[in-house]
Amino acid sequence: MRDWLYEPLSAERFGWMVLSILILLGVLLFLVTYAIYVQRKLLGWMQSRVGPNRVGPYGLLQTIADVLKLLTKESFVPTHADRPLYLLAPIVAFAPAFVVFAVIPLTDRIAFTDIGIGLLFYIGVASLSTLGVIMGGWASNNKWSLIGAMRAAAMMISYEIPLVLAALGVVMLAGSINLVDIVEAQRGVWNVVPQFVGFVIFLIAALAELNRTPFDLTEAESELIAGYQVEYSGFRFAIFMLGEYVYLFAMGALIAILYFGGWLPPHPALDFIPGIVWLVVKTLFFAYLPFWLQATFPRVRIDQLMTFSWKVLMPLALVNIAFTSLVKTIAGGVS
Amino acid sequence: MIRTEEMLLNVGPQHPSTHGVFRVIVKIDGETIVEATPVIGYLHRGTEKLAEDLTYTQIIPYTDRMDYLSAMIGNYALVHAVETLMGLEIPERAEYLRVIAMELNRIASHLVWFGTYLLDIGALTPFLYAFREREKILRLFAELSGARLTYSYMRIGGVKWDVPDDGWLGRVRRFIDDFKGALEEFHTLVTGNEIVQARLKGVGKYDQETAIAYGLTGVNLRSTGVAYDVRKAKPYSIYDRFDFEVPVRTEGDLWARYLLRMAELEQSRRIVEQAVAQFPSGGEIMAKLPKLIRPPAGEVYTSVESPRGELGVYILSEGKPQPYRIHFRRPSFVNLQLLPKLLVGENIANMIAILGSIDIVLGEVDA
Amino acid sequence: MYGTGLLKGLGVTFKEMFKPKVTTKYPDEPFEFPNRVRGIQKLYPDKCIVCNQCAIICPTQCITLKGKPHPDPEKKGKVLEYFDINFEICILCDFCTEVCPTEAIVMTTNFELATYSRDALNKDMQWLDANDTNVRELNLPWRQTSSSS
Ligand code: SF4
Ligand code: SF4
Repeated sequence: MRDWLYEPLSAERFGWMVLSILILLGVLLFLVTYAIYVQRKLLGWMQSRVGPNRVGPYGLLQTIADVLKLLTKESFVPTHADRPLYLLAPIVAFAPAFVVFAVIPLTDRIAFTDIGIGLLFYIGVASLSTLGVIMGGWASNNKWSLIGAMRAAAMMISYEIPLVLAALGVVMLAGSINLVDIVEAQRGVWNVVPQFVGFVIFLIAALAELNRTPFDLTEAESELIAGYQVEYSGFRFAIFMLGEYVYLFAMGALIAILYFGGWLPPHPALDFIPGIVWLVVKTLFFAYLPFWLQATFPRVRIDQLMTFSWKVLMPLALVNIAFTSLVKTIAGGVS
Repeated sequence: MIRTEEMLLNVGPQHPSTHGVFRVIVKIDGETIVEATPVIGYLHRGTEKLAEDLTYTQIIPYTDRMDYLSAMIGNYALVHAVETLMGLEIPERAEYLRVIAMELNRIASHLVWFGTYLLDIGALTPFLYAFREREKILRLFAELSGARLTYSYMRIGGVKWDVPDDGWLGRVRRFIDDFKGALEEFHTLVTGNEIVQARLKGVGKYDQETAIAYGLTGVNLRSTGVAYDVRKAKPYSIYDRFDFEVPVRTEGDLWARYLLRMAELEQSRRIVEQAVAQFPSGGEIMAKLPKLIRPPAGEVYTSVESPRGELGVYILSEGKPQPYRIHFRRPSFVNLQLLPKLLVGENIANMIAILGSIDIVLGEVDA
Repeated sequence: MYGTGLLKGLGVTFKEMFKPKVTTKYPDEPFEFPNRVRGIQKLYPDKCIVCNQCAIICPTQCITLKGKPHPDPEKKGKVLEYFDINFEICILCDFCTEVCPTEAIVMTTNFELATYSRDALNKDMQWLDANDTNVRELNLPWRQTSSSS
């Protein structure tokens, strides 16, 4: 599949490409549907409940029923909303979450694009979705959603930086920002070992990026009711939710690729299991980890969150970079 | 120069963290509160006025609905006042049943506070764990009194039902023993959590003078270092027979109030444990009374320690079956008066945490 | 160390996943209440002597009843003409069953009253008579009598 990118385009090939894009969309929607189901089941189990069990066997059709409900509901636009922005916001929030999947290589053979600046592209595009959140919050013309949007803006500024700085450590080790190269550079040992501090920073910043507990300040249902989504209903709300969940998987995949060797098995002896299985397993683990945190942690306060980012994560990330470059220089000098 | 503008924000009456229909109008500058005005009364039913037309027994169900999280204690506050006015001697077995019921109710009430408070600061799971434990108490209460929330269990002169003869006390005992484990679980899950501590320590502080000046009672007062608990200060019922402590802290912040309520769970657990052990094997559950209860003319004020503070009942009797005037000193209402002062200068997240830590029940605030 | 509390908390929720769940399967399986629970009243119209005590004690005045002379002229006393309980305002406080001298009105542990209209909540004598499942065994705890009939 990767070869397609380097060969001339023919009608037949183009057809395949469109088809595979549709397959990706289908797979993602399916994953999201069941991610929500699994999330609710896991949350239920962690809370002495059984989780969804009413629609279909074991509640398997619950999410589908919910989506249908959302799609058939009236999609309400508040009278004093900024109409164009209000309608555009869910799309702006959702599209980037889906676009970033384009640069995520599934294995060394299966990839949708192979651009040299994969990681940069991912981070750049992903941060656009915050724009959708801010737009939605502003355009709703509701005080609660405005506060939510302002929080989103503040959080984006504070957490994007440690996120990128933490990822820099990985980039320095691999000497490339191409995601395939980064994975290949982990053949010997996964990045999580030499870059453990970077991993922790990245994970925390990623949680904040994803607006998951304990950093779910933009929604914060007990403070801001639902933050920026407060005026959204029907399928626009569904698109916001969808974007959030797709982004969760994208982030899971990115963490797996940057720190856990992507499609590489933990030990060469396990090579008989195809690489894509490894990637999916790792991605799912990191996509579900936030739910576990959600079941356990309370929410931090906005000022604590900012202090934590600027006074703890940032310096740590810088130290991590300095340390990595030091190690790399010494090791490079020796060899 | 940038000009910023203040904004009026209506928190409530439909807000997930106001614990009922309660509204605070806050003027915010960014996220900082400049001014806060609580609006109450959405649940006002005029209990005191209604009570003037009701016989004393008929008022009992109304006390269920004031502080609906601790209806047993509300029931007791009323019957205790009437009994004091009449100078009644209550059979010992009834007193033990009352204490067991009241302390179990205190545990249940604090559990609701614990769960919803953690929900306020964003943690979902403790709520369900707390309700899992509370459900066991409600089951015990349903077996004892026939209701899960509005018990109407106490009667003037005693209690309505004797212990169910299918080993109810044994089940109380088992619950009390198991509850130790649950408390430990709560502490591991929540008390040790660094985010919780960061959220609660040093926030919502007030000092002893303020607390006294505003007439705060209960945990809200004890968190500033005043060891005032009605059960110890003016012992009623048979509380003098049990060995328990009144937890006190001096910080006066949310964290102190959190720890105190958690400590009270343990103290109530101990009281129930002792009461079950000392439970008399026989005896009446009702004092001898005429069918129509007519306390002598006069007035009386008695108070009990409810989970929220000093719950007082004042009765002015003219010797009729109905009170001439009855007044309830509702701790939630009194404690809430401090809120506007506490909120100034805090942000929205802290506002929710502070409101939760006062522990109000809107049925009682509005009565 | 900072963060150990967080990790311990994660351990608690993780372990909880494998513990038995505590929710019940209502409404698939009926929820069993203990026998003392105060539910919708059952009325035995034949036992009622129309003494009006239940209507007087009721704190919310939700009982309306009226008697008529006994149809059999041989017998003295009254029988019920109508007896309605308005479940919009009945608080199931148990006082009516407590004062009834003949245990004509007793509690059951039934509780499912939800309907689509308020009017449907005003239940009459026939309905209350027909509500004869899960009748409470012991209604007057002080007298220790039983209404098993
Ligand atoms: S249960 Fe209480 S409120 Fe209902 S009818 Fe009987 S006395 Fe009235
Ligand atoms: S108290 Fe009993 S006997 Fe008297 S009117 Fe009511 S139901 Fe009939």
